[in-house]
Amino acid sequence: MTALSAPGGGSLALSALDGVATVPLALSALSTRYAYATFALLFAIGLYMMIASPNLVKKVIGLNLFQSAIFLFFVSMAYVRGGAVPAIPSEGGAVGAYASPLPQVIVLTAIVVGVSLTAVALALIVRLYTEYGTLNEETIREVMDE
Amino acid sequence: MMDNFPLYVVLVSFFGMFGIFAAHRRPNVREAVTVVVALAKFGLVASMVPGVLAGKTYVFSAGEFVAGIEFVLRADPLGTLFASLASLLWIVTSFYSIGYMRGLDEHSQTRYFASFAASLSATMGIAFAGNLVTIFVFYELLSIATYPLVAHDGTDEARSAGRKYLAYTMFGGGVLVLAGTVLVFFLAGTVTFTPGGIEGLADVANSNESAVQLAYLLLAVGFGVKAGLMPLHQWLPTAMVAPTPVSGLLHAVAVVKSGAFGVARVTLYVFGPEVAYRIGMGVAISTLAAFTLLAASFIALRKDHLKQRLAYSTVSQLSYIVLGLGIFGPYGLIGALLHIPAHAFMKLTLFFCAGAAHVETHTDHISEMAGIGKRMPVVFGAFALAAAGMAGIPLFAGFVSKYYMLIGAAEMGTFAPVGYYLAGALLVSGVLNIAYFWPVVYTAFFEAEDDHDAKPLVDHRPGGERRSTLAVTDGGDPGDEDADADIGPTDLRPDFSGSGSPGERRDYSEPAPLVEGKYAVDANPSDHTTPEEDTRDGGEDRNEARNGSEGRNGAEAHTAAEEADTAHEMDDYDAHHEGPPPGGWRRLSAAEAFRGEETTWFMLGPILVAVTGAVLVGIIPYELGFLELIELIVEGVLSGTEVPA
Amino acid sequence: MSNPELALLVAVPILAATLPLLVGLRFDSVGWPIATVAALVEAGLAVFVASRVATEGRYVHSLGNYPRQYGIELVADGFSAAVVLLIAVVTLAVLGYARRGGAREKTYYSAFLLLCGGLMGIGLTGDVFNMFVFLEIVGLATYALVAAGRSGRSALAALKYLLVGTAGASMYLVGIGFAFVATGTLNMAELSRAIPETVGYSDPLVVASFSFVAVGLSVKAAIFPLHTWMPDAYAEAPDTVTAYIAALVSTLGAYALARIIYSVYTPAFFEAVPLAGDALVAFATTSIVAGSVLAVIQSDVKRMLAYSSVAQFGMIVAAFGLGTEQALLGGAIHLVGHGLMKVGLFLGVGVIASAYGVRTVREYANLGYRSPVTVAAMGILLLGLVGIPPSVGFLGKWYIAWGAIEAGAPVVAAVVLFSTLLTLLYVARLLETLYFRPPDDVEGAVPAADVRLRSDGGGDADAGTDDVSADADAGTDDVSADVGAYVDVDDAGMAEINAGTGTRPVSFGMVFVVAAIAVAAVALGFAGPVFEGFLGPFLEAVL
Repeated sequence: MTALSAPGGGSLALSALDGVATVPLALSALSTRYAYATFALLFAIGLYMMIASPNLVKKVIGLNLFQSAIFLFFVSMAYVRGGAVPAIPSEGGAVGAYASPLPQVIVLTAIVVGVSLTAVALALIVRLYTEYGTLNEETIREVMDE
Repeated sequence: MMDNFPLYVVLVSFFGMFGIFAAHRRPNVREAVTVVVALAKFGLVASMVPGVLAGKTYVFSAGEFVAGIEFVLRADPLGTLFASLASLLWIVTSFYSIGYMRGLDEHSQTRYFASFAASLSATMGIAFAGNLVTIFVFYELLSIATYPLVAHDGTDEARSAGRKYLAYTMFGGGVLVLAGTVLVFFLAGTVTFTPGGIEGLADVANSNESAVQLAYLLLAVGFGVKAGLMPLHQWLPTAMVAPTPVSGLLHAVAVVKSGAFGVARVTLYVFGPEVAYRIGMGVAISTLAAFTLLAASFIALRKDHLKQRLAYSTVSQLSYIVLGLGIFGPYGLIGALLHIPAHAFMKLTLFFCAGAAHVETHTDHISEMAGIGKRMPVVFGAFALAAAGMAGIPLFAGFVSKYYMLIGAAEMGTFAPVGYYLAGALLVSGVLNIAYFWPVVYTAFFEAEDDHDAKPLVDHRPGGERRSTLAVTDGGDPGDEDADADIGPTDLRPDFSGSGSPGERRDYSEPAPLVEGKYAVDANPSDHTTPEEDTRDGGEDRNEARNGSEGRNGAEAHTAAEEADTAHEMDDYDAHHEGPPPGGWRRLSAAEAFRGEETTWFMLGPILVAVTGAVLVGIIPYELGFLELIELIVEGVLSGTEVPA
Repeated sequence: MSNPELALLVAVPILAATLPLLVGLRFDSVGWPIATVAALVEAGLAVFVASRVATEGRYVHSLGNYPRQYGIELVADGFSAAVVLLIAVVTLAVLGYARRGGAREKTYYSAFLLLCGGLMGIGLTGDVFNMFVFLEIVGLATYALVAAGRSGRSALAALKYLLVGTAGASMYLVGIGFAFVATGTLNMAELSRAIPETVGYSDPLVVASFSFVAVGLSVKAAIFPLHTWMPDAYAEAPDTVTAYIAALVSTLGAYALARIIYSVYTPAFFEAVPLAGDALVAFATTSIVAGSVLAVIQSDVKRMLAYSSVAQFGMIVAAFGLGTEQALLGGAIHLVGHGLMKVGLFLGVGVIASAYGVRTVREYANLGYRSPVTVAAMGILLLGLVGIPPSVGFLGKWYIAWGAIEAGAPVVAAVVLFSTLLTLLYVARLLETLYFRPPDDVEGAVPAADVRLRSDGGGDADAGTDDVSADADAGTDDVSADVGAYVDVDDAGMAEINAGTGTRPVSFGMVFVVAAIAVAAVALGFAGPVFEGFLGPFLEAVL
């Protein structure tokens, strides 16, 4: 559990969040912690798409983007520079630093959840499309109110 | 064994409520249930009185209710005083209700009687509650149980009155009282009623006076809402839209007195008179009460609708009680507590009289009552007696209590000048009481239908203006005829010629002036002598005394008129106008009055009982047990307290 | 550490959820029996767990016997046992109603059981990531059930709920990601120990993690302004579904919030970062006011009750944010009580919709005399919602108000107390319509013509129709209608009368369930000490 108690990304992610205020730190965060920057960017884009797009399918795409950002976040925080694959060698014996396995497991589970959610969402959209003949949420609402 | 009696007292009418629902198809059984339950309730309360007078307290505890607070019902002197009064008067009111509701052929009578039983159940709970949480439970239940009675008519006005009633009482209960209760529990760690006040609270009052002041204000104003304390009194006049027995028992005795009773509990058993005085809040509430009683009296002067005037009179009289509670010293307390039964008997009489006039003659406005004393001598005689009591004339109930309060206030004046002002307010209000009650008596007995002063006096020429309430025989002015045009003349003007004694004749030629609101009779304008009722309840004695041969010939026409009325609600005014019949009120002899010609014995009996009570409380308060109980209470709460002299 | 009943509580409904589909290949209408058997098993297990908790206190089950550092724990303590009991009872009640009043599809019962299993999972899990999974299982099942309304509207409501709900759950996932980064564990007990030891409470990572978690779970608990999914979802879902999700889904969302606050961040976090608690309480308090005001202006009864939930959850979350013992106790009681009252109310709405096909407040005019039992039960539940004692609603309010004063938060105390009036606004409106508004002046209302219960002004059925005119009751124009209807108009009887109008029959069971819930809500009003004793050890442990 030693690897887990001091995961590679932990304190660094902290400094990345801390340093946004000053330009040099922000720059260094962008250059060295690009995974976190990408996470934030994807997260924001996905959320924006979900809220702003009137197209229902695009909303679901936004949702997927949003979730992918979170998966990226988990995977990148598990990464340990120079760490081995978190698998116990068959001959036994101690290994050095290895990547934290727990986030990987979490992401696998979360992906499954995400896929099933997308399936349900698409099923609902199919039903809406057959009923209203459009994917535009505003149009659907107009039709409903009539 | 008798320790459970407070619980039984509460439950008997609660279960009675289900009996009333179950008997909804048999009105006679239903009313019998009401009466039996009322008698049982009073019997239970009365059986506890000797024990309580002997110094016993019957305590029933249902165990812990919320953290560290038990659900306790205990019959102590103060609770027994209120419970015996309310349960006694419920019996009287039950009979009156039967006469009134059947007289007007009201709808939803099952709901009415059931709600009445539930209300009394909650009232008993308030009386016997052993701590602030228990009293809060019943205080809220009372608000709920009374709501159907206020909104009984189902008209827009009644519904809005119901809304207003709920909003005011829930603000008082669910917000203010609950807040005060939580605060007291937080400050003192207990909310159990203790004679002379919760001990811990006195210590807190020394260290954290403003918190205790806030708690007192929250509780006193919270209960004051039901007692009609200004400026939160507005619901009471509005609630007069309810049937008169409701106005009588609930809005003059049970509900409003629960408010005053709550203030008494808070002042005497939570904070204690000494702490209440010391933190300055007792005097503050008294001052508010003094303002209320004067302001309400002035408003009452201007009300032409009799029940409205009585409602403001109630607001005013309830403030006597609250005022007396704020007077620090034994006499003020005795006066305040004695005013609870005194006012109950008097105001119940007054409301019963107003209701009797309403049922018999559809007259609600004082300006229409000129000479009505001829038609209803006993009723308005009783009214005059009760009104005299209200004004504090000796030998009537109101005198004793006010006398004690005056002494108390004057005594308080020796160490706190505000006492003199309170005494002054009491005296002025006595005069105002005469000013707003005397015109009613004067109009009823000393004016004639065709020659009386137009009322209210201030609305007319200085020096008075002569008017006649009699119908003009030329058919009224053209405008009124237009209003009637869409109703077939046969519907509304049945020919009664030769169908009975002249006193019972009805004429519909002159529409009555529109009144400011609609009352039960307007939505349900039938008269108590409808032939249907005779067929339904033919076996009952109440109709035999009255009907004789009259009215039956007009049966068909009358029914037709009724149906037209239901269809054209607005026209009810035209069909059943107020005031005397053409040719003036019929003069009843005393013999006729007591044969039941004046009104049914279902109403006359309760009126006589109530007025007798009002006189007896004025003459022998001690022998009735009320004063003895009160002395016991005051002794309990003031023991160990040094009243500055 | 092996107490398999905890795992069974979660596993039984999830496994049973597959049965309607499998068995359904061979037989029809197996959904309800299977669901009922599963619910009965759940109820038995729940009672067993609750009694064990009452005697032994908190106990855990480690899945697969892995240590809690990387295994998953299921935890039963007073709070979770209370919630598990609520889930079991509500499931049984809704199934009792659904026998006649619910859907027939097999898939419906599969989703229903899946939902039940997910809810049990949220209630019992001791692992923050596992809680995410259960939140999503609950979400998935709920979206499917809401869409079971078969209309385009319900599909859109479900989709909206899906988007907002998934966003909320994802926020929660980000939050626990931050917590994991800071501490390296996902177990609640480990987290509560590790946060102060490794990074400290005021560390930005911890604060950020709390913010994400709180926002994410506030979406699930429908705290204003994150409540937007709720009214649509409640209004468009089938009645049984509305009742079930209204009673449990948001409840478990709020439960998760409380669980995370007290078992992971602990009240010490609020002391170190006062802003976090204050912000939560501020949002929750706003929710009380906004929810009530929005409820008053609704015309659809289900929508009105949905906004009422927004207000009530505001009160519950405010209590959790206050962090005193009494407030937490009050929040827990109100959480259970509100769930119970809402399931009764929505089932009552279902009964009325089945019998008369009416759904708006106006159309409810005078129904108090047509369905006396159902409407009386609803009336009691509505008054309980206002907080009229004795009822479980009052109990919650009392403890929350006390807790607010104890915590020195007079504004919260004032809002909680004033919420009585706010709740009364919409409750009184509904009660008045039910009992005092004549139906004749309302278009679309159920006519009172054939019902003479209300016009009992001395009328006597035995006297035949001759005395009809005696009931001079405005509005009873058509009193000559059959006297048979007058004789004991119970709900079932009414339904038969309405059978021709496309409405569904109302069974005795449906009315019985609503009435029983009303009785339970009143009876629980006296159970203050029971709650206190049951939740006491939990409160002591977390505070």
